Parts: sequence; C-alpha cells; structure tokens
Amino acid sequence: MSSSTIQVKASTSPVGQVSTSGLVWQMARRDILTLFRTPWIIISRSMAFIIQLFVFAYFISGLVNYPGFFEYYAVGSVVAMVASISFIIGYDIFEEAEEGLLDYLLTLPVSRRQFIIGRALGGAVRSMIYIIPMFIIVALLEKFVNPVSIIAAVLDLFLLAFGVTGLSITMAVTVRSANRFDVTLALLDLAVTRVSTALYPLTKLPLYVRPIAPYSPVTFASTTVYDALVLTSLNAADLAGLIAFVAVFIVLGATIYFRRLEGGVYA
Amino acid sequence: MERDIRILFSDTFLVGIMFANFCIDLFVTAATFSNLISSSYFLMIAPGSNFLTAMVAAFQSGRDVWREKYIKDLASYLFTLPVPRRLFAASRVAGGVARSVIATFPGTLVISYLYGILFSPKLVDAFVIVGLFSLGIVGLSMAVSAFASSIEVFATVRSAIQLYLSFLSTIFYPASLFPVIVQPIVETNPMTWAMNAFRSLSGQGSSLGPIAILVAPSLAFALLGIGCYLWYARL
Repeated sequence: MSSSTIQVKASTSPVGQVSTSGLVWQMARRDILTLFRTPWIIISRSMAFIIQLFVFAYFISGLVNYPGFFEYYAVGSVVAMVASISFIIGYDIFEEAEEGLLDYLLTLPVSRRQFIIGRALGGAVRSMIYIIPMFIIVALLEKFVNPVSIIAAVLDLFLLAFGVTGLSITMAVTVRSANRFDVTLALLDLAVTRVSTALYPLTKLPLYVRPIAPYSPVTFASTTVYDALVLTSLNAADLAGLIAFVAVFIVLGATIYFRRLEGGVYA
Repeated sequence: MERDIRILFSDTFLVGIMFANFCIDLFVTAATFSNLISSSYFLMIAPGSNFLTAMVAAFQSGRDVWREKYIKDLASYLFTLPVPRRLFAASRVAGGVARSVIATFPGTLVISYLYGILFSPKLVDAFVIVGLFSLGIVGLSMAVSAFASSIEVFATVRSAIQLYLSFLSTIFYPASLFPVIVQPIVETNPMTWAMNAFRSLSGQGSSLGPIAILVAPSLAFALLGIGCYLWYARL
C-alpha cells in the first residue's frame, strides 16, 4: 500500500480510496471539531483578549509616552493571542498520550506522516478560527479596510499559528511530567510573546532584550502584520524569518513526534 | 503537607521555571513599562510580578487536587489514610501555601532587595504578605477543583480569576483611573490589598494595618477551599 493513498472505511460511504490530502484533512478536522466541543477554552481566551484590550491597553495607553500605543498594542495583541492559542494543541497531544487515547488514534488507517501533518494543520486552522472574531474587532476598531492588507495579515497569522503548533507538538512529545509540561509551555508562551515587539516597540524594550527580540517568531509575525495593516506594505525580511521558523519547527515537531510514536515513550 | 511539598521538590525544574516566569515578568515586562511610563513605575509594579508567580504556584495545588480526582484516581486512596478529613483538608491548603511561598522565595528576595528591605525585619512582613495572599488563592483553587468536571472548566475559571486579579486590581494603574462604578470592585480585589501591603513596606511607618486587611479574606477563601474539599470527599 502506497503512503499516498490508503483504503479507509468511512462511516458514510463504503470502502473507498481517500487521497493523502483527504486523510490529512480528516486528522485536521478532528482537532478542529475538538475545539468546538470545548467551548470553555474559547470563552476564557476571548475573555482574556477583551479584558487585555479594553481594560489593560485602554488604561495603560493613557499613561505611556508613545503616540499611537493603543493601535500598536491592539494589532500586537491579536498576534500574541494567535501564538498563545496555537500552544493549546500541545496540551491535547499530551493529554491523549496520558489518557491512552493516542493508542487508539494510532490504530486508525492513516499513515504516521499524514497523522502528524494533520495534527499540525488542525492546530493552526483552529487557532485561526479562534482569532478571526478578535481580528475583526481590531480591524473595525482601527478601521483596516484594505482587503489585500487584511488577506496578507491573515496569511501571516496562519504561518505563525502553523509554526507555533509545530513548536508546541515538539514540547508535548519531549517533556514527560504533566506539571513540568504545564509550566514549560506557559514559560515558552510568555517568552516568545514578551521577548518580542508584538506588544511593545523595540525602542522601549530593556537594552538586554533588544538584541534578541527581533528574532522572535512573534516579532516576525507582528512586524509583517503591522506593516500589512497599518503601513500597507510587505516586509519581506520578516516574512522570510517567519517562513524559516515554520519550516524548522514543523519538521522538528514532526520528526520527534514520529520517533516517539514508533517504539518511543508511548509504546 | 509534607507530601505536597515533596511533590514540588520532586521536580526542582518546576521551581526554576516559575522563577524564570517571574524574571520575564519583572525584567522584561515591568522594565519595558518603566521605559514607556517612568522609572518609578518599575518599583510600583514590581511586587505584582511576584504575586503573579504566587498565583500560578497556588493554582498548581488546585490542579494537583483535580488530577488526583480525575486523572490519577488517587483521591479515594488518599481519603482512606488514617488522618481526620478536616485535618487532611487543612493540611492540603497549608501544603499549597508552603509550596507557593517556596516557589516565590527567590522572587520575594529580589523584590525585597529592590524595596531596600532585604536586611531589615520588614523582610518577614514581605513573606507574611506573600503567604497570606497564597493562602487565599490556594483556597480558591481547591474550591474550583472540587466543582470543575473537566480540565477545561478548571482552566477557564482559573483564567477568569487570574484576569480579575491581574487587570482589575492596582498592579498596573491606580484605582482612580477606573470608572466610579468599577472602583469598588478594584478596591476590594485581594491583589489590590496585597499590592498595597507590599508597597507600604518601603515606607517608614508600620505596615501592620495593610497586612491585617489581607487576613480576613485570605482566611475566608481558605475556609471555602477546605469546605469544598470536604464536600467533595463526602461524595
């Protein structure tokens, strides 16, 4: 049986051929549906975003000495939220392994490669589903109307979501203890968003953070999104950085996940 | 209680990570705000970084109780131990407070150094404030863990409490900035009381008054946590 096509018995149709992309989509679809079965996560993250923007950013922008800080923070908070939400897939993968659900998933007629890519894609797509209402709020608030800029910004956000999903999967299959995984992921989330220029301008970051911040994936995304939406221009250098981040962590996450699945810790 | 503390030390990496969280909050976020607003702002919000770490550590206790119940299926074993239920519940809260104080120990020292009280008797007051604040949060987290049927519900309630404590308190801005209708909510936030108590340590006067304000709500939350834990144990 080739790796590109596998025979599956679907619930709605008799035995048939399903293409690689079809199987990848089925894996992704499962993760997306999981999102809608757990509305609590959507509620808590939306609540966090709204309070962060309409309480914290509103009051702080009245105190800071930086013109247009609210607009800067509003765009950055969407980017930071995408990164934050994309980390959730790691929790799912960790819990599946802990609860024994992974054993069942591995018996499904889906190749390992399709399984892994599907999980990463599902994680990224559901992050985008999460973030779209928040993105619309910011777009309406800041009057972003250029459709090309909006499409470019959404694509940048998707790239970030895809890369962070890979990073999260890498962590989920590397860290063994539940408590350790919980705090490590929280630290990673905090580090990639705070040590970046998403929420605060580079010139206002402490001197010891300024040399590192431009290389954070969240910085790459926030710069490209900000340039697309506010300056209506394309930042090729940061876009290249973002693509490199995605490539590295999707490959790394997939490779480590694959190794762990085959006779690794889950065996 | 010893068991809970041992769980914390069974993985010293956890303490290190929590300190790293505190360092990012203080030396990146707070330092950035001092560049954006004024240099004195750094000292104003610095204790908040430590209380946020205490809050995370305190919620870990609730999460552990939840995991014992639903994931590890340990709760029934623990309740068969030859310890009276009330004492057992109180010791879980005390263990959580001890864990939180230990996890924030380096952070409390750093903030005390910044406030110039590292080598003064007020250092004890600093730890008392962190301990009292942790007592309330551990109680709250145990109450949440008793009623949360899934980890998502637990995480959502935790997130809501953390948002309330962080953004509807005086960590980042004075209560006078809020609309008049919201000000009572901000003024009665335990985080506001903890921040006021810690900020009072840098002054010359006694900080007994601001610390005393924390006692009643922290004890009330701790009793709530114990009550919920006992209620859950009876089922």
